[in-house]
This record gives sequence, C-alpha cells and structure tokens, in this order.
Amino acid sequence: MMVGNPAMLALDWIAPLAGAVIAASTIPPLLALYFLRLRRSRRVVAATMHWRRAAEDVRANAPFQRLRLSLLLLLQLIALGLVALGIAQPQVDLGLGGAEKIAILIDRSGSMGALDGEADGTRLAQAKEQAVERVRALHGGGLFAGPAPSIMVIAFASEATVLCPFTDSAVQAITAIESIEATDESTAIGGGIELARSFAARGGEDGTANLSVPAVLEVYSDGRIADLEGLSLRDGERVVFHRIGGQDSPNVGVGAIAVTRMPESPGEVRVFARVVSWSKSPRQTDLELRVDGRLLAVTPAPMELAAASPDAATGALLPAQTQAVFPGVQVPAGAVVEVRVTAEDRLPADNAARVVAPRLGGLKIALVGRGSFVLRSVIEGMSPASFESFTLDAWNARLAKDPSAPDAFDVVVLEQVAPQSMARGRYLMFGAAPTGTSIVPFGTKQQVLPRSIRSEHPLLQYVNLDDLFVASMTAVAPGSDSDVVVEASEGPMILTLSRGPLTLVYVSFDPLDSDWPFQRSFVNFTANALAWLAAGGLPAAEEPLSPGAVASGRLPAGAQAPSARSSTGMTPPLSLLEGGRFTLGPLRRAGTATLEWQIGSKSATPTSLAFAVNMDCQTEGRLDAADQLQLATNSIAAQPSRAASQSMWPWLLLAAVGVLLLEWWVWLRRT
Amino acid sequence: MNEPGTIDDLLDSRLMAHLDRLDVVSKKIFSGKIHGERRSRRRGQSVEFADFRNYSHGDDLRFVDWNIYARLDRLFLKMFLEEEDLSMVIAVDASASMDFGTPNKMHYARRLAMALGYIGLVNNNRVSLFSFSDDRIERLTGLRGRRRTREMGQWLLNLQPGGTADFAAACRAIALGGQGRGVLLLLSDFLFPDGFEKGLRSIAGRGFDVYALQLLAPDEIDPARHGVLGDLRLVDSESAAEVEVTASSAVVGQYRERLDAHIASLREYCVRRNIAHQVVETSLQLETLLVDYLRRRGLLA
Repeated sequence: MMVGNPAMLALDWIAPLAGAVIAASTIPPLLALYFLRLRRSRRVVAATMHWRRAAEDVRANAPFQRLRLSLLLLLQLIALGLVALGIAQPQVDLGLGGAEKIAILIDRSGSMGALDGEADGTRLAQAKEQAVERVRALHGGGLFAGPAPSIMVIAFASEATVLCPFTDSAVQAITAIESIEATDESTAIGGGIELARSFAARGGEDGTANLSVPAVLEVYSDGRIADLEGLSLRDGERVVFHRIGGQDSPNVGVGAIAVTRMPESPGEVRVFARVVSWSKSPRQTDLELRVDGRLLAVTPAPMELAAASPDAATGALLPAQTQAVFPGVQVPAGAVVEVRVTAEDRLPADNAARVVAPRLGGLKIALVGRGSFVLRSVIEGMSPASFESFTLDAWNARLAKDPSAPDAFDVVVLEQVAPQSMARGRYLMFGAAPTGTSIVPFGTKQQVLPRSIRSEHPLLQYVNLDDLFVASMTAVAPGSDSDVVVEASEGPMILTLSRGPLTLVYVSFDPLDSDWPFQRSFVNFTANALAWLAAGGLPAAEEPLSPGAVASGRLPAGAQAPSARSSTGMTPPLSLLEGGRFTLGPLRRAGTATLEWQIGSKSATPTSLAFAVNMDCQTEGRLDAADQLQLATNSIAAQPSRAASQSMWPWLLLAAVGVLLLEWWVWLRRT
Repeated sequence: MNEPGTIDDLLDSRLMAHLDRLDVVSKKIFSGKIHGERRSRRRGQSVEFADFRNYSHGDDLRFVDWNIYARLDRLFLKMFLEEEDLSMVIAVDASASMDFGTPNKMHYARRLAMALGYIGLVNNNRVSLFSFSDDRIERLTGLRGRRRTREMGQWLLNLQPGGTADFAAACRAIALGGQGRGVLLLLSDFLFPDGFEKGLRSIAGRGFDVYALQLLAPDEIDPARHGVLGDLRLVDSESAAEVEVTASSAVVGQYRERLDAHIASLREYCVRRNIAHQVVETSLQLETLLVDYLRRRGLLA
C-alpha cells in the first residue's frame, strides 16, 4: 500500500503545456538564428589568406552549414531550456503526481492552538497557511496549466466537518480553509477520512469525477490523534502527513477539577484540581483559584511537577500529575470556580479548568412506591438533604390534600406506580406509565435492547447503555411534548416530558426487570436525572463539558429573551426548540458559556446559567508533534514542513539567469 | 616571449658564449673587399698555399720562394689563397604579420638576427641589416667587428613592426644595395599576399648564398590547439580585411593543408633556386636553432 514517504519525491507540473509551447516556439528559432547569423568573436591573425581559402573550400563542399557544438549555443540552449522548464512550473511533490482528487484534512483540535507555529502563531494558523499554499500550487498554472485535481476541505477535531466538497475552484477551497476556526476539542480523524471517502465515491460537484480513483488524503496535523489505531487505509488510498508543530513544546495544564460542598458548612466548597505536565523536564507552577473571575487563593508554595516519562510497559509517554486542594472557600451556588496554573507554556487553553459550583446543600427527594433496595441505596448514597418514602396511597392522599405537595421536594421518584395526579412537580418515574400526560401506554414488550441512544443528553453523561438488557418494558407512545432520549425498536425506553410546571423523566421499564442495577450506568443515570430535574429541566451545569459538547435543556416556564454569551467573546449558537427546549453549542472553546433569560417583565433581573467547558489536558495537552501517523496497519511518515510542494520555477529562472551571465562572460572572453 | 627591451634581452651572455664558437659558412666563395678570415678566390696573403707563378717586376719580394731560387736560380713567387671578409646580409621582415603569435614572431626574428649578426661580427665579417615593411626599407650596413654589436642591437630594438610588406621591392633593394655578394639571411613568415616568388627571383640571380628562414608561430601551425575554434571573425593584421570563419575541425584541417601547401611551395621554389629553406617555429629555443638546426643546414660551423 502506498503511503506518504519523503523518499518518494516526484516532480509535478503545473503548466506543462506552457513550458512545451515556450520550448517549441523559442528553441527552433534559436537554432535557426545560429544557422542564419552567428555571433562571431573577433580575432586578429597574421594573415587571413589561408583561412579564407580553407573556409571557401569547406563551404564549397557543404551545401548546408552543419550545426556545430558551440559552447555559446549550448549555454543559450540550456538557458532557454531552463526558462521553458520554469514556465512549466515544476514542483517537487510527494509522489502525488496525477492525483485527481485531494482531500485536505486540517486538524483544529485543542493541541493545534499551541503557540509554536511560525512567528509564534498557532499551529492551526500554520496549517491553514500551508494548506492554502498547497492549493495555490496545485491550481497555480494559469492559462496553460494542466488539469488540476479537485480539492475537498475537511476540518476535524472531535468530529469532522466538510467545509468544501470536491471542487475545481481554488478560490472556493482557499476560502474554506481560511474559514476554519480553532477549537479546544479532542482529536479524531476517522470521521474526516470517512467523509473524504464517501465524497470521493460520490464524485465532484458536476458528477464527472473518476469514481475509481480514491482521493489522496493530505493531513495537516500535529499527529496527536486519538483514533488512529482503529483506522487503516484501503487499497490505492494514499495519505500525506504534513506535520505541524515542533518536537519540544512543554506544556502544563489543569487536567481535572471538582468541587464539593462541605457538609458541615454548605456555603463553603472544597476544590480539587489535578495538574498535568507534559514537559520533559521538571516544572514549577503556582495555582490560582478564582470564583467568577475574582482571585481568591493561590497555592502557598509553587507546586513541583516531575518530568513526563514513558510508561514502563507500553513505552508511551505519560504526563506527570499532582493534586491540589483548596479547602473551605465560600462560593455561592452557580458561581464559576476556576483553577489556573501560572506557569508559562505554549498552550494557554488548558491552563485553566472551570466548574460551576453546586447548589447549596443536597436535594429533597421523595420516593413513592415499593422503595426497592436498589433505588433506595442509590438515592441515599447521594446524601440528599431529605429523603422521604411514601406508599402510593399515602402520596395520593397527600396530593388530594395539597396539590402543590410535589413542590416541597426537589424530585419525586416514582417506582412502578402512577399517582392520580401529575399536574405539577419534578418526577423520575420507573415502570408504570404516567397518568394525565401525553404519554400513551399500549402494552408491554419483552427482551428489549436499546437501539438509539442520545449520548450527548445531560441525562446520559457518563452513562453507557451498550450492555443494557431489559426483560420487560411498558410500550408507550410519546406525545408532542416528549423528548425521547433512549429508544428501542419497541418504543421509547427513556424520555423526558415538560409541560408547564411538570417535568418528568420517564424510564419505561422497572430496573429490576433488567440488568441495569448491576451496571455503573444506573447510578450515574439516576444521579444525572435527579440533578437535571432539580435544576428544573436544565442541564446539570455543575459538570464541566468537554469542548465540542452541546448543552441542551428546557428553559423554565415563562422564560423570555434568552441569550447566550461566552467567555471567549464569541456568541455560541443557541437554538430554541418547541416546548421551551434549547440547545447551546457546540461549545468548541474552553471557557464558560452563559445562558441568560428573564422571567416576567423585561426590567426583571435576568437569570443565568453557566456552563463550564474544559479542554482535556490528558490528550490535547501533549504538544510534541508526532513523527508519523501510526494507523492500525500503516505507518505514514511526516513530510518535512513546506516540502510537500516546493515550487521549482524560481530556482529554474535563477539558474537561467546564471547561465545567461556565464554565456555573456564567455562571449566577452572570446571577443 | 616578452618584447626585448635591452640588448641583453636580445642576446644574453650565456648564448653569446655559445655563439663565440660558431662561424658563418658559405657554400660559395666570394671576393671580399678587405682581408678577412675567409678564403677567397683571389690569391692573397693568407697562410694557405695556392700556387706559384713567375716573378714579375714590382712583385712583393716577401712572397718570393727563396728555396726554389736557390735550387733553380729562378725567381718564383709563392701564391697564397686570399682570406677575405664575408658579406653577411640579414633581412628582417617587419610587416604587421610578424607582430603575431605566441611567442611573437617579431621578437623571435630580432633575437635571431642579433645572434646571427653577432656571429658575423665576431668573425670579422661585414654584416648588413635590412628591415622592410610597407614601402620603407631600413638598413644598417658596413658593420664589422665585435664592437659594433651594441649598434646592431640598438638598431634591432628600434625596429617597429607594422604595415604591409612589399617583399619583391625589398629583395630588389637588397640585391642592388651594393653590399657585395655573400650570405643573405631572410627572416620572414613569407605570408605575402602578393607571393614570395618575385622577391626570391630577384635575389636568386645575384649570387647570394641565400637562407630563407620562415618564422611561424605555434598559433599559426596548429590553431586548434591554441584556441582558434568556433565562430570567428578573423582580421588580417596587415590589411585589416575580415574573414568570417567557423573554425570547425574541417575548416582548421583545411587551413593546415593550405599552410602546408604554402610551406611546400616555398621550399620547392627555394630548392629550385639553390636557396636554403628552413621553417622555424618560434617556440623553438634559439640556441637549439643555431647550434643544431642551422649547423646541420651548413649555415654555421
């Protein structure tokens, strides 16, 4: 299989026709001029009589003057040849001669924000510049240029985006490249390669592309790509790796942050941070703690960080890590807690990690139904502020006495029971179908497996349902105000419903009828659901998001004029859907994104909800560019920077000028 | 070879020491004007006996053979071969074509003339020098004795090459110059547009023992080896006429054939008129020419 290799340099011609035209139109006249009128050097001899007769004799015996090898003629032919070659615009290429389709994949992940590009620019800026140069070189032939390859532009980070399908327009490709914006996301190239393959198989814009020829994939990246080991190239597929970034780029970042309220003093939090160093030498750094931007604390002494070292078993480089704790900091609920390292490095984006401070105290939870051991232990493990259990009859009686009884609890958990009224309140419901809602039950289904999982939903954060098996499930039809989160072939397995003061998370099966209680995902799901419901259907904002994530949720009833802003200065995309639902993002940059809305009059104080977005320093923090892309079965060596398509025409024209000067000098010596 | 600026440049002491042992030899015996060191057809006062004759009144009694008188009682006069001086004429072609080549033909001719003239002076011969270019003929005649060496050298140093040689007129002038018969040395490249025949013919009939020394530079003999190649506009040094030549190997070969034919025709012409002809390449050491070549040709002994 052919892969990019520096030894496989080839010469590509941008304008071969122009060079041929020039050569064909100038070299024969030059030779003709030599036949017709030679430039002779003057030389004094004693007497010319013998020369004259000799020349007359030769001329008399030769009907045509034979072309003689003259140094001047030779130099002029060489100069002319160099000019013709220069006009043909050859360029040293990477064995891509004749490529019909080139897919340019540009890495815009977090590590590409490292400031070790040219002139201290970012790697992404350097990658874009090189890619633009490459496109210009491929399409730089002008009128006489040969057929240029079609170019596709794909930007990839945690997911790939086609910015420009295969096109013959260099302007379009360059515009697409220049439009690439930096992200702080993790890196995965698999989606980009699949996109390139599918577009190449689909043909060009006009459908005339040769479908039998796979696209050449030119990857501009630092090579730190997470999913390489699961990829392999197909027959005839070629990849060129343009390595961006240097080999030694020390970096220190905050790898993780967590905030917990202190039980004895709910107004205070304890902040945990893990500091990660990818530097190959020991480093020191201070840690700052900021709350809503205000500096509250600094570590009393610089933290010592060992050097990153290879793993003894695998040989893979592992970062040095150390923990830090800020105890007893007074932080209000919803405030943004930020931990920042002060050490200078090449990647600013991972120097800080943020988290939204959790609400004061625990949740008030009511459990209605049989109160199984599984569910009870999960709830009790979350240290709720209060936890009461009710039978269905007791709960119905309480509702009958006070319809607003559910409001006394942050979340009411219904286990295999449906109360007589669910007009208001926040419910996590298992098994039995809800009453008085748009959800319509229509029987039971056996042996159900999840088929569609919206893993980006806040309810499913850290929830893996791949191994979930449900023996028996209530089949329901969701209403228009429902939002299906997990779906089986037989119907929704988990859905949410929000209608006025009612917010519901409905799990259509009894956990005891499945193997879910034996999986960690059950605990995580329950915790997510309780937090989500307690926040009024808003995401569990206390959990930091990864760059590229989309925050979604439902605005409270009566929310008006929602708007979004970001700490990076850019406005994140905010989409408002039916039923007050919203999506915010994707949030591609590390920092905080804030959603604001008003309830009541326009002059009312806006309510805000902050989302913390942190770069994954464990993967994106490693900045030493890779020498090669190590795929499952292929190894693609990095091309030297800018060597991918070195234009030769300036050197050829320079050589032509040199040869002309030499010819002039020889001519002067002879005359 | 640099242009000689002093007499020492023309004739250095080392060469001079070699030349002191040489003498000019003529295949012919000429009557000189004064007693010299050379046999003459005239009976004279040398020590070399020639014949007896009867004494007549007025004869010098010193030459009476008294031994014969004692035996025969008759006066006989001893006759000796007269040793006369030799007229040595050196004619130098000073046309522009001689100012060419590496080594320069004119420089070489000056040094050769100086060396030959020195040999003549040392051996008490009557040395005359001629140079010819355009229609002007320079001459320095009547030199005899070693002390005239400097004068001869200065005259040679003052020679300025230039113009077109009228060889026929020059030869006619030499023949009629009244230098007396003797050895005539022609130093020239013999590249005369009008030919050499007319000039040589005017000399050949005058009883000179003529030596035609044809000086040619290596550039002329083998131009290809000396960079005369390619597309050239050749300029004649005398007439300034230009010839456009593409000096290919064929043309250069043709030139060589032309030059060889020219040399051969000169040699044939000279042989027919009892003129010694010698091609002298100016890269040849002067000492080698004098001691080896010219001795072998019988000019020097």
